[in-house]
Amino acid sequence: MVVTTIIFFIIAGILFFLNIKHGRHMEGIQAGLRQLIIALPVILLALLLSGFLEVLIPEEFIKRWLAQEAGFTGVILGTFGGMIMAFGPYASYPIIATIYGSGAGLGTTISMLSGWTLLGLSRIPFECGFLGVKFSLLRMTLHLVFCIMAGTVAHLFDLWFL
Amino acid sequence: MRNTAIILAVVTLILLAIAYITGGFELVTEGFLTAGMTASQALLMIFAAFLVIGQLQTLVTSDMIKGWMQKYAGGRGIAISSIAGGLFPGGPYIFYPFLAGFKGKGISFYLLFSFVSGKQTYDFTRLPLEISLITPWIAILRNILTFPVPFIMGLISWRFFPQGVAGASWEEGE
Repeated sequence: MVVTTIIFFIIAGILFFLNIKHGRHMEGIQAGLRQLIIALPVILLALLLSGFLEVLIPEEFIKRWLAQEAGFTGVILGTFGGMIMAFGPYASYPIIATIYGSGAGLGTTISMLSGWTLLGLSRIPFECGFLGVKFSLLRMTLHLVFCIMAGTVAHLFDLWFL
Repeated sequence: MRNTAIILAVVTLILLAIAYITGGFELVTEGFLTAGMTASQALLMIFAAFLVIGQLQTLVTSDMIKGWMQKYAGGRGIAISSIAGGLFPGGPYIFYPFLAGFKGKGISFYLLFSFVSGKQTYDFTRLPLEISLITPWIAILRNILTFPVPFIMGLISWRFFPQGVAGASWEEGE
């Protein structure tokens, strides 16, 4: 975690210097802090919710439906679970991390993350409204296949290499 | 964001009540401690992640993306659109109106398709959060596994839906 934090600070520093050229470096800091202030209550609430999820989710449920032993069922459940998780990243990521930490398999976790990323229902009203229902249906259908594929590959990776 | 906070607060309260009923005060304390531990470890990283997000959003502007989208076509266009989608700043309330602005302006359907897929798959401003709030290696694995998706989506739509979906012409305004 410390290494990742340092890497982020280095990247932020590089981007800061790149923005100096355009005279927008301070604007970048302000934009980041503004978003942090807006997102922080949601992040803290999500972390609190995740803490309770962690102590409440029955081990048996994880083993049966989401762990490596659940196999392809976990991948399917993960994909649709991620899809219906209609929160932004600040809330969804801690929840997915908790489910993984509680013992969910790699296949389930990756398909849940992919399902949230590629199929997230919270974006659908915007997409249908601006680009059309047919566009949205076609994209969702193709993305669904890729989510299941990504989860399956991760599951096999988990099974064979981890 | 406010609605999300309200929903999260309600769900958290329900979980807190369940924790109290099933495990008493001890389980409630354990829940708070688990959450506090995660927060104390992640908060500095989250702060750094937002510094990256702010700088990135300031560096890459909508006009820059628009210029790329109008310049390239074919296989190279698909690659550029996918990456441009990932770099596009802002949430769905900015992204979709921006795309709708291309209707009837000669941008091919398959480029739009790979652009939307690129935004959802990569979203470079979301990546720091994914790394900090999940774990770096899970985030990297997810990105590696889904990396080809926008390119394949672009190629599929180029090959099978050159005029847009259900025969509707994108260029003329679907």
